Amino acid sequence: MGGPSWLGWIFAGLMIVVAAYCLTRLAASWRQHRPTDHRVDGIHVLMGVAMAGMLVPRLRVFWVGGWEVVFAISTAWFAWLAIREFRGQRTVGGRPGHHLQHMLACGAMLYMFLAAATVAKAAVGGSGMSGMAAGAAHFPTLALVLAFALFGYVVWNADRLSSLAPVAALAARAVPAPVLAGAGTGGGASFAAADGEDAPSTPEPQGPAGQRVPLSPRLAVCCEIAMGVTMGYMLILML
Amino acid sequence: MASQAADVRTRAGWLCGVGAVHEEGWTAPDVRRRLQLVLAGIWLLDALLQFQAFMFSKDFSQLLGATAGGNPAFIADPINWSAKIIADHPAGTNAIFAFIQLAIGLGIAWRPTVKLALGASILWALGVWWFGEGLGGVLNGAGGPVNGAPGAVIIYALLAVLLWPGVADRAAPFVAGRFTGANVARALWLVLWGSLAYMALLPATRAPKALGGMVSGMASGQPGWLASLDNHLGAFGNSHGPAVAVVLAVVLALVAVSVYLPHPAARTGIVLAIVTAAFIWAAEGLGGILTRGGTDPNSGVLLALLALTFWPLGRAALSSTGQPDAVAAARLESPEGA
Repeated sequence: MGGPSWLGWIFAGLMIVVAAYCLTRLAASWRQHRPTDHRVDGIHVLMGVAMAGMLVPRLRVFWVGGWEVVFAISTAWFAWLAIREFRGQRTVGGRPGHHLQHMLACGAMLYMFLAAATVAKAAVGGSGMSGMAAGAAHFPTLALVLAFALFGYVVWNADRLSSLAPVAALAARAVPAPVLAGAGTGGGASFAAADGEDAPSTPEPQGPAGQRVPLSPRLAVCCEIAMGVTMGYMLILML
Repeated sequence: MASQAADVRTRAGWLCGVGAVHEEGWTAPDVRRRLQLVLAGIWLLDALLQFQAFMFSKDFSQLLGATAGGNPAFIADPINWSAKIIADHPAGTNAIFAFIQLAIGLGIAWRPTVKLALGASILWALGVWWFGEGLGGVLNGAGGPVNGAPGAVIIYALLAVLLWPGVADRAAPFVAGRFTGANVARALWLVLWGSLAYMALLPATRAPKALGGMVSGMASGQPGWLASLDNHLGAFGNSHGPAVAVVLAVVLALVAVSVYLPHPAARTGIVLAIVTAAFIWAAEGLGGILTRGGTDPNSGVLLALLALTFWPLGRAALSSTGQPDAVAAARLESPEGA
């Protein structure tokens, strides 16, 4: 991209860390039946890998055009979830605007890949430009609007960060539940079913009101903040 | 117990989605907090603009060095000194600047560090005002309302003071007066907008074709719609420059005194301030952000945010400042408290 290469590596490294962490969240959620938002963690894995590849071409892992398809689908998917949210059919774990945030992020990714592809085509076409550094996106105003919206979500998430209980505090308050089943899907808190066939043999720590102790909510929000800042950086470079 | 859990889940809504089942002690942002968050967002934008490629080159130091011109030696010499240091180490110094601004933005947004970050932003803004903006052209006569005077960065500092979350808020008819008190806040507003009105009458703005040339110059490299807007404004400025400058000065003066007027007129004055700020921001070409040459969003957007901090509050909002309703209402109704 347009910035110094070492800076690109720093942001790319951050994105790889975020992607790897979200992947471990998914794995931990599956193995330990602890609640997390699988959709968000999943999209963060994809975004982290995609952004790292944009920031440092050596880290590209996908075929040309592949990411556009991925983010077009995910934008549409989160748009659908957001519409359902606003219609009052609350999806599991949905805050008003929560899916909108991810729809926006996916849309921004799509925009960046499309703009990059356009510039790359111009470079091949003999304009003398190379990569994104050489050319501006076709819709810089749209890029700026997307960046503004992302900054809005970043500061909003940061504002809520301190109100989230750390996992240690949730675990400290945990009370063992005698029987528990089927936790950790869909991100919502799950409650024990007394006759659950898949109940674990040993009681696991439970959060207040019998929920399983969730995966760190603070780190999840930190991932969203890191994603938002990095995406904002990339959009600014593409103005 | 079950109803409590249900209540927690309803209140925590989306946090259940990220695995949190408890949002402890979170209160929805009040008006001041929302304005602080907007300020944090602008700091973030500023920080990420600082990460642009050209900022890591010697162009940035040349940009800073240029602000020394026309200033007294005791102002200009330190500017030249700092510009030389930045020219010698462009990448390292600029990276530090950018990360400081990023930390300020995120620090304001994160509640536990809001005071620390606002305090740091004041110090940082004062430093940049001197070393980076040459005091915004106030002393060399080059500053004008549509070229960023009295320095965009000093408005960051002013906003940090006016949005400071004090231990005990004072009763004030607008957010900006909660920490400093309404009278101090009004005085600061008067000085800022009054100085803008004064600068609109200086030759740098009032001279024939000065204003038009300034605005037309912003059109270069902008997207079509903004270039067209700036070209039209510039052409109008070129043909009616001195008259436009006088009208602008009158409008700015009206805005400056509007906060001393009774409630409905004060609100009209704030609306006028927001419209004027939007005009200024457009004339500034949005600070050149879209040209890949902008170092910050410039003064227009900050003036608009400042105006919002002076937006007259309703009585309900006033009592939410922590003051007893009766005290707040009594002060609002008294002539010196209104």
